[in-house]
Amino acid sequence: MKYALVTGGSRGIGRAVCIQLAQDSEYHILINYNSNKVAAEEVKAAVEAHGKTATLLPFNVTDATAVQTALDTWQDENKDAIIEVIVNNAGITKDGMFMWMPQEDWHTVINTSLNGFFNVTNHLVQKLLRNRYGRIINMVSVSGLKGNPGQTNYAAAKGAVIAATKSLSQEIAKRNITVNAVAPGFIKSDMTADLDEKELKKMIPANRFGAVEEVAHLVSFLASKKASYITGEVISINGGIYS
Amino acid sequence: MDKTEIIEKIHYFLVDEFEVEEDDLTPEAHLKETLELDSLDFVDLVVAVESSFSVKLVGDDFKGVVLLQDFYDLIERKIS
Repeated sequence: MKYALVTGGSRGIGRAVCIQLAQDSEYHILINYNSNKVAAEEVKAAVEAHGKTATLLPFNVTDATAVQTALDTWQDENKDAIIEVIVNNAGITKDGMFMWMPQEDWHTVINTSLNGFFNVTNHLVQKLLRNRYGRIINMVSVSGLKGNPGQTNYAAAKGAVIAATKSLSQEIAKRNITVNAVAPGFIKSDMTADLDEKELKKMIPANRFGAVEEVAHLVSFLASKKASYITGEVISINGGIYS
Repeated sequence: MDKTEIIEKIHYFLVDEFEVEEDDLTPEAHLKETLELDSLDFVDLVVAVESSFSVKLVGDDFKGVVLLQDFYDLIERKIS
């Protein structure tokens, strides 16, 4: 059986990606979450409503040992399973002016987005190489491309993931494994719930925030065979706010 | 397992799984240049070694392994 793993899959964009992949692909879905089991169970039910199976894999992406234990345990119980698609979506924000930023807010954000990408992808990439096919999709942000005041930590983490995406894509392209990044702008989700949409949409050419489903469609395309010749790309999905 | 047996086993999987020409398998052969094994092939090499010799290899083990002779020596060291 072939699987797609979505980290941070219980809410927001991750949730939408799990459901879209269930709808569009033949993959069974591995839903990673850190703390919100109730939300993860709801995603599982939504995936199953599309006739696919879903498995909950709780682990904290920042904890390399926990990542390895969870994935190895699951693999031991599912010997023939292949994780063919990895969507590194887990991420958090801890916004604040850099001059006042506590060390903890810097490290937590870097640990989740950047080290989370490393912990999960590094542990699975050898299997992908032996499989000679795979898709790695990293959720980044417009902040990682252009920077954003108040998000030095988040922009640094996402910018680093963008650079890693480009390097890794060149290392493993020969084995039919693509590595791409998706860079959303303002998307309606828990992460942007506190933002003043009415005010902010004035600077978005499309004059609205995006929907999580719109991002999920892009991820689903990149996860498909249709995107076989696209690798090392950062694809913006931001209503025209930055290109 | 003696050295001849080790060499035979290595040659077997290099020919069988990595499509290396048997005539190219000399101790002086460069793994990358002569046998055309690229860095990604080392992932498969690790698996082949683990299943043939029941030893664990990590990336660092390949440091300094340039020639086929180095590879024979590495496996011999690991087994002993």
